Amino acid sequence: MTLPGTGAATLEQATGRTDADAVDATLAASGDAHAFERLYRAHLGRVSSLVRRMLSDDDTDDVIQDVFVRAWQKLGTFRGESAFGTWLHRLAVNVILGRRETLGIRRQRHLDGDMALESVPSRRTTPEISMDFEAAIARLPNGARQVFVLHDVEGYRHEEIATMLGLATGTSKSQLHRARMALRRHLER
Amino acid sequence: MSDQWTDRLSEYLDDELPPDERAALETHLRHCTACGAALADLKRIVTRARGLEDRLPDRDLWPGIAARIGANSGEARAIDLGAERARRRWSFSLPQLAAAGLALMALSGGSVWLLQPHGNVPLAAHPAAPTMPVLAVGNSAASLRARAAGQSYAAAVSDLERVLQQNRGRLNSTTVQVIERNLATIDSAIAQAQRALDADSANVYLNSHLAETRQRKLELLRQAAALVSSAS
Amino acid sequence: MFVTLASGALAALAFLQQIDTTVTAQQGQRLVVDSYGGEIAVKTWGRNAVRVEADPPARAEVQVSSSSAAVSVRSEGRRGPPASIDYTITVPTWMGLDLTGVYSDVKVDGVRGPITVQTVQGEVDVAGGEGTVSLRSVQGAVKLRGARGRIDVHSVNDEVRVSESSGEITAETVNGDVALERVDATSLNATTVNGDLGYDGPIRNGGRYILSTHNGDITLAASESASATIMVSTFSGDFESDFAVPLKETRKGRRFSFTLGGGSAQVSLESFQGTIHLVRPGHGNRDDGDDRHDRDDDDSNR
Repeated sequence: MTLPGTGAATLEQATGRTDADAVDATLAASGDAHAFERLYRAHLGRVSSLVRRMLSDDDTDDVIQDVFVRAWQKLGTFRGESAFGTWLHRLAVNVILGRRETLGIRRQRHLDGDMALESVPSRRTTPEISMDFEAAIARLPNGARQVFVLHDVEGYRHEEIATMLGLATGTSKSQLHRARMALRRHLER
Repeated sequence: MSDQWTDRLSEYLDDELPPDERAALETHLRHCTACGAALADLKRIVTRARGLEDRLPDRDLWPGIAARIGANSGEARAIDLGAERARRRWSFSLPQLAAAGLALMALSGGSVWLLQPHGNVPLAAHPAAPTMPVLAVGNSAASLRARAAGQSYAAAVSDLERVLQQNRGRLNSTTVQVIERNLATIDSAIAQAQRALDADSANVYLNSHLAETRQRKLELLRQAAALVSSAS
Repeated sequence: MFVTLASGALAALAFLQQIDTTVTAQQGQRLVVDSYGGEIAVKTWGRNAVRVEADPPARAEVQVSSSSAAVSVRSEGRRGPPASIDYTITVPTWMGLDLTGVYSDVKVDGVRGPITVQTVQGEVDVAGGEGTVSLRSVQGAVKLRGARGRIDVHSVNDEVRVSESSGEITAETVNGDVALERVDATSLNATTVNGDLGYDGPIRNGGRYILSTHNGDITLAASESASATIMVSTFSGDFESDFAVPLKETRKGRRFSFTLGGGSAQVSLESFQGTIHLVRPGHGNRDDGDDRHDRDDDDSNR
């Protein structure tokens, strides 16, 4: 099992990061904004990536800010039992999902179902592969996209994803499969 | 397109199939090129997903966050040791000593450690009042107590230095010299640690070393002040 | 002159050049000495009594009093500055000590009870101590031998040396070395700012050992059977080891850790700009480089 979002990072780097995070989280919990800024800079990449892929709309900067502001407010509840990055990530997911639910109107902009994906032509004729891939993820239906991002990009397990999204584990698995198959079809173009 | 085999490919890839279904699928894969191709594609997708780079925002979002959490970065104060007292930013951390089971550095009882953006002041000078936040290490209840305590490292240092300054005549001159010399030793160590930290602010060792060295200064000042008050 | 006093009585022995007073001592009493200058020398005997010998100047008055908690010795200067008085005090072995002075040197030999010593300009040299042992000087070396328990030794401007002692040890100074020889610490906090640190003693399973200096070297002796996780932190210093240790830099800035044996004890060696040495036992925790040549002889033992 890979660590959430480790990607290219080694375990050693993660461990080293954990020390500094624990220190800064403690400081920030009692008002040290400089320490919080360090945490922000250290974790911005992961939070920003998560927000932008989960939401795929244009107000992601606001949501990223919301995540960190909420994290600042909730620092007192961080007990250090998990790594700060893990805690922050879960908090980010909550903020993202909470926003999605309150923005019922925006939701209708996203088409649900595989039909949406098949109706959109491939954007580029000479693809830069990763942008094409990111664009393809953005075109996934909401539910499938979120499961895909949480599972394949961020490394959560289906049990965790099911809890976070309020789904049955089986639904999480089938949504993941839909996402992967849709991406496969899109990439063939 | 969906059939009982392709529907299972993701679970197979993620090693989530029960053994009997797994065996059945592997048997199927041996002679189904379409499924084999699909599986290969799925693997590629998963691999690519895991390797995705971070996507950063286009602009620096920190000022907006800082404004919302009430931390005005413009107010960050910094002190230089020179005669001009130029200001520079600094930061300060403590290791998770609590997690390690060691006692935290206590200032005036309880688990309160206070920080302030103040440099090193010679015995004769009176430093400006600090405005950095109170820091507490420990659980939430202790944090709240610490905030309520509201004293700062700088205030403690300046109080003690004032006591010493006003009463140094009560102490033997040799003792005064010894104390001043050792305060200077500690101040020099603080300055070196601070400079090192400026270049590497997330360094856990440097942060804790600076904190501990500041604590040594405070303890020495306290000791000196206690001597003064008991001298007759 | 020998005077034996009952509890609660006060003996004021003024105007005498030579004081020699013995009072009975009861279990539970401590010796409390409040001195200004001179030497306080405490030794022991088999009697349940406290003998105070002193040679105060005429203008000083030595008071020896006794309460249920303590036998107290203090001097009052009747006029002029406080006097410098040398005391020789003999106590029962079990008696705890509470000795305070300003320009006082303190020597203790043989006491097996708790000992607290505070002086400003004076050396502290204690052989003994059990339970809580707390020795403090500002300007003066602090030396302790043969103590057991919770040990707290502090100087400011001079060295701290602890030997043949055991227990939970805190040893601190600012301008001086901290040397711990043949010491069995279950926990250790040894710090200085301008000075070297040396620990030569067993590293106990589950123990915590912190050796921290700013401007100085650290020498830690560890045996082959030591079980310790060792964290080395330095800003611009070096690390040298008698052992072949696998080093993993976990951060830039010279902070790394490694494990000996099962990694049971937690050891933190921190020097801002000195050299951190990990040596085999008996290979010197002094800062003279000559000891290092001896290590070559033991290479065959690796």
